Amino acid sequence: MLRVVCVSGRGGEDAVGLGECPVVRDLADGGDLVDKLRVKIDGRTILAAPGKTILEVAEENGIHIPTLCHLDGLRDVGACRLCIVDLYGQLVTSCTTKVADGMEIGTQTETVRAYRRTILELLFAEGNHVCSFCVSNGGCELQDLACELGMHSVRVPYTYRRERVDATHPRFLIDRDRCVLCGRCVRVCQEVEGAHTWGFAERGVTARVITDLAVPWGTAESCTSCGKCVEVCPTGAIARKGASNAEMRKHPELVAELTERRARG
Amino acid sequence: MAGRLDVLVCSGGACMSSHSLEVKEELVRQLEAQRLADEVRIVETGCMGPCQYGPLVLVYPEGVLYKNVAVSDVAEMVAEHFLKGRVVERLLFRSETADQIVREHRSIPFFEKQMKIVLANCGAINPESVEEYIGAGGYEALGKAVTTMTPEGVVAEMKASGLRGRGGAGFPTGTKWDFVRREASPKKVVVCNADEGDPGAFMDRAVLEGDPHTVIEGMAIAAYAVGAQRGYVYVRAEYPLAIKRLRSALEAARKLGLLGDRIFDTAFSFDIEIRVGAGAFVCGEETALLASLEGRRGVPHPRPPYPSTSGMWQLPTLLNNVETYANVRHIIARGSAWFASIGTGESKGTKVFALSGNVRNTGLVEVPMGTTLGELVYDIGGGVPNGKTLKAIQTGGPSGGCIPVQYLNTPISYETLKELGAIVGSGGVIVLDEDTCMVNLARYFVEFTASESCGQCVPCRSGLVRMLDILDRITRGEGSMEDLALLEELAHTIKRSSLCGLGQTAPNPVLSTLKYFRGEYEAHIRHKTCPAAVCAALFVAPCEASCPAHVDVPAYVTHLSNGDFAKAFDVHMKTNPLPGICGRVCYAFCETKCQRAQIEESVAIRDLKRFMADYAMEHQLAGPKPGARNGKRVAVVGSGPAGLSCGYFLAQRGYEAVLFEALPIAGGTMATGIPAYRLPRDILEADIDRIVKTGVRIELLSPVEDLGRLFADGYEAVFVATGAMKGQTVALGETLPRGVVTGVEFLKGIHVDGASEVGDEVVVIGGGNSAIDSARAALRLGAKRVTIAYRRAKADMPASPEEVAEAMEEGVEILDMTSPVGVVGGERVEGLRCASMAAGPFDASGRRRPVPSDRPEIVLPASMVIVAAGQEATGELLRGAGIEVAKGGLVAVDPVTMGTSRPGIFAGGDATSGPATVVEAIGAGRRAAIAIDRFLGGPGAFEPEERAEVATDYDEDAYTQEQARAVPPMAEVRTRIRSFAEVRGRFAKEQAIEEARRCLHCDRQQTEDGACCESSASLAAEAKTR
Amino acid sequence: MGKVKVATVWFSGCAGCHMSFLDIDEVLIDLVGRIEFCNSPITDLKVFPEGGVDVTLVEGAIGNEEQLELAHTVRAKSKIVISLGDCAVTGNVPALRNGIPPRELIEEIYGTSRTTNGALPYEVVPRLLERVRPLHEVIPVDYFLHGCPPPAGLIAKAVLALLDGKTPELTGADLKFG
Repeated sequence: MLRVVCVSGRGGEDAVGLGECPVVRDLADGGDLVDKLRVKIDGRTILAAPGKTILEVAEENGIHIPTLCHLDGLRDVGACRLCIVDLYGQLVTSCTTKVADGMEIGTQTETVRAYRRTILELLFAEGNHVCSFCVSNGGCELQDLACELGMHSVRVPYTYRRERVDATHPRFLIDRDRCVLCGRCVRVCQEVEGAHTWGFAERGVTARVITDLAVPWGTAESCTSCGKCVEVCPTGAIARKGASNAEMRKHPELVAELTERRARG
Repeated sequence: MAGRLDVLVCSGGACMSSHSLEVKEELVRQLEAQRLADEVRIVETGCMGPCQYGPLVLVYPEGVLYKNVAVSDVAEMVAEHFLKGRVVERLLFRSETADQIVREHRSIPFFEKQMKIVLANCGAINPESVEEYIGAGGYEALGKAVTTMTPEGVVAEMKASGLRGRGGAGFPTGTKWDFVRREASPKKVVVCNADEGDPGAFMDRAVLEGDPHTVIEGMAIAAYAVGAQRGYVYVRAEYPLAIKRLRSALEAARKLGLLGDRIFDTAFSFDIEIRVGAGAFVCGEETALLASLEGRRGVPHPRPPYPSTSGMWQLPTLLNNVETYANVRHIIARGSAWFASIGTGESKGTKVFALSGNVRNTGLVEVPMGTTLGELVYDIGGGVPNGKTLKAIQTGGPSGGCIPVQYLNTPISYETLKELGAIVGSGGVIVLDEDTCMVNLARYFVEFTASESCGQCVPCRSGLVRMLDILDRITRGEGSMEDLALLEELAHTIKRSSLCGLGQTAPNPVLSTLKYFRGEYEAHIRHKTCPAAVCAALFVAPCEASCPAHVDVPAYVTHLSNGDFAKAFDVHMKTNPLPGICGRVCYAFCETKCQRAQIEESVAIRDLKRFMADYAMEHQLAGPKPGARNGKRVAVVGSGPAGLSCGYFLAQRGYEAVLFEALPIAGGTMATGIPAYRLPRDILEADIDRIVKTGVRIELLSPVEDLGRLFADGYEAVFVATGAMKGQTVALGETLPRGVVTGVEFLKGIHVDGASEVGDEVVVIGGGNSAIDSARAALRLGAKRVTIAYRRAKADMPASPEEVAEAMEEGVEILDMTSPVGVVGGERVEGLRCASMAAGPFDASGRRRPVPSDRPEIVLPASMVIVAAGQEATGELLRGAGIEVAKGGLVAVDPVTMGTSRPGIFAGGDATSGPATVVEAIGAGRRAAIAIDRFLGGPGAFEPEERAEVATDYDEDAYTQEQARAVPPMAEVRTRIRSFAEVRGRFAKEQAIEEARRCLHCDRQQTEDGACCESSASLAAEAKTR
Repeated sequence: MGKVKVATVWFSGCAGCHMSFLDIDEVLIDLVGRIEFCNSPITDLKVFPEGGVDVTLVEGAIGNEEQLELAHTVRAKSKIVISLGDCAVTGNVPALRNGIPPRELIEEIYGTSRTTNGALPYEVVPRLLERVRPLHEVIPVDYFLHGCPPPAGLIAKAVLALLDGKTPELTGADLKFG
């Protein structure tokens, strides 16, 4: 349903091509006219609401951009860099960059795809992502990204991290060797649950997620055991105890639902 | 209490660490003792700049600067200078160029080309006294701004000045201020970034320590302009002195009402707090800094939003660096037009640089933008010490790049350095000499950034350690060309896809060294060698690595130290069959890399070799037995060092090697070009005889004109080593009178064709060894006065400094910056007309090109003019064989196999390299022999056996204490210029053993599981960046 | 046209990839007519053919010196080398020992195990490498078949494509690990 209003002095609904309209407005739900921006994504001219990110606009228009640290309902941090897109030759993360009128964006340029693949290789190389016996096998966002981005092999040597599994929590565990440091657990714990149990410690390759002041999860007093971190974790790093090989199926989409419902009151 | 003298004692960080405060205490005591306390005022100041020479003491009104002042010097200084007015000369600076003492500190070359705006007060006032700051014009600009200017006016002034952010990115400061000013928020914040974290950078520290009020004033003006009420200085905890002085300055400013409510009785109120950071490098990035400032984890976030719209506590925040704020008051006080008149195009004003690395004057310098890199390194920095040559300049710290020596004329600006793949950055400048391995340097910086990555975004966190891993492999000789490609790919990925400036710039050191020094990476990968002899895993010891013939120096020197002279000789003969010759004329590349020089001086390796060779000759030690004959014949054209070496090694592998020599004597340039006072003929003959005895045949008077004939005669391969025997001439006129000869002809005449008449006054043109040889030979042939005319500066002469010194001892006069333009004379030469030259811009070799000066021409009277300005190869023989010959007669050969474009024909020595050294020719001959062996079906290798370490039978530790390098006896000047007898004497046996024991056995340290060599390599890198 | 020579090699892995290969059902019948099986655990031919082969499928990661040596032989004598399954592609389960010194590992497994009487296999078996590596870290590899094991259909797809002289199109779900 085209609800485009072309305001070019003539007024009223108009069938002229979008490219010719100097100012474009959309009839919002309440019937108000809302300013819209024109952006070009992969050659397609698209109308976008101001204040939205490139990622949101692309998704709304059926253009898929790979993501990992992004999750609807959580603040975006631009950490994984997988959602990079080409903006006038610069690479920007689509999850943190707001659309502006006239933007020309490439989501699948050769450079962008090559860099995403290299970044994914770096992610695989830094952890122990042994899919075959992982609880999240078949339900893992990292595993899916390898398929999506066409990663055939990891060209840098694997590091074979060796962290201890923290299974001190009665219901959950964390295997940091499977952690991709997306920070979703940290954000959901802060922004949605408000418990601030998860945080980051150290830096560089030794950076890791911790509970409270780096105490075993089971002894973290702030933890409400709500399990949101389990649901948002994109890999098998944070999992339910008792889940066996390929048995974990997570529901990160619950966060968006939760925040929307809260917003509605 | 105005005194007769003001004595300024530097209490910058560097001087304090070399005990300047003790010097000050002693000054107080001595002044009391001499009852001068009322007349002399002592002031503790901030950094004066030339940190290398601390502690520094500057005495006004004369402006005399004393360097390296020890507590024990103070009594003399007080008694002589302060009491009697006699300056203590031994503590003064010395000009490197004029070799003169410099009294007035402004005339010291280090200061002459500097322009101090940011550092104007550093080293001139007491940083803990606000009164002194005000006395020097401080807070005038703030007063002017808040009482006479509108905030818009201040911003406009800043914009007009052209000042750009000095923290590294170079964003126009006025524009940034305008962004913040335009924000509607009633609350705004001004932040000073004092989280200076680049290794080797200390300009911000110096400003905070030496002139804290200038930063406060700059921030206050900024706050007035943008409408801020609060200011924060984010300074790292590693700067306790800066924090202390800043804190006391803030208190003093508050007391005077310069901070706080209603400043200068206006509506403007502003105050500043100090926030101490824990010293994470990433917190220098503005968004990470703000996060840390708010008390959160110091990690960056993507921009936008920029701090100017949403910074600290989501308030519009102005964030500038220390040096940027330090410029502000000058711009406001003196006007934007004045500031914009300094510098170049888009880069205005001055920049402070922390000069470090392989440069004489390390320290803090401030120069106008547009100063060239060459001026910075040579005129201010004093050039590269220890006789080494400049290789590159690293600017911008771990985010910066390396600029090679051919760009010394580049004026420093944001744009020019960026074009070269480097950046101005915050102002770190590391001067790198020939001993720097660029791969290792890049590795060092990546190690730094990898460990400082915050770990938030994937490319930086995970990519940098992968790059480090690859660089590690390359420096260990385990890298592949695929690794190199992946390294480059990772570098580009990280640079373009990282979240913040840290990751986006961290690959720069790798990318810039790949741009200019890719060959060095490839040497590590393909040839498993580190050309600079730094990467310890790739060589036995630095001396062995730097020897073109790869003589196992540690092994033979250690045998000598044990008194096993014959064993030493055997080791030497494995890789170099000309010990007697090399013991005299070798350039001794080994000594330039000798690690003993870190204690006092390098081991006298060449003199040791000479002792060993003489011992071998006197005891008639034979070379190794030739290998069993394999029936194959190889022809070698030329009997110089390359030919002799090739023939010798071929015979070792069982070939019948025949050397064809056109002249009646063997030895090539060694026989025709090196005078006997340096290389006695019996020594030359003994070395050659020994080679002949190992199965090499030399056919004298047998010129080869056609290589095809040799193959027709049954030789299966040919090695062409015909040298570079053609003397180059300088354009001196169409027809030259008699008495003008080339150095080649002249020197050949002495020992081969019969010496020429030199007359009384000889002028030699040139600056290389053959010029020195010609000059000294002319003296010995009876010339009364010998002058060398050289067009560049004396320090740039390619001749070995030792021989230059010996020639001068003998009375040879060297006129540098003197270029011949024509000869005077009719039938016979009477003189040489010369133009006086001046130092022009830098050329690609990093030396200043001589350009005509306005001084008049001179005529040097001359009975003979010897033109020794270079030699070249003819390339005739190879051209005849259908091989392409380049300019100068040179032939392109594979550097490893010495193979030409025609299979079976190999070439080496001066014929392919141009005039070089004996030992380089020996190495080339050996490589050719190995390649010929492989070409003819042999294994192409000589010593498969493992290198044996030599044990000693004395207490090695006793020799790690300082012990002067042994000097052999020298013939007296009086007698030596009368004959061609050898000038340099030989070590006595005991002396030789003692000298050999100074060897530190680097070979051994490096074979012990690599642990200590890694630490020594990283120590060296650390030392370089300090 | 003669038959295409195919070899398969089994390094550090569980043989599951070979099992999956045999699981390609009726395609096997098609294959038998077109390929000649050379060295393979399936045929029990243990010597890699001197004359070389067209395609070698490699199961398993490189974990000991013998495997390392054979990997180089495989590369030298094969026109196309395929990493078959996650162990060859990523190191997978065998690589979990990385980080533990091989000596400690052997002492733990053989020294304290009840079934081996504490006899340590130092002499008779190939020496373990310091770390287990995926095949492409050791030799260049042309194609990667993901999966633990790779689905039979994926193997069939790749092999049939190669037999037809085409490049196997490995995209999307073909690249799923595990």
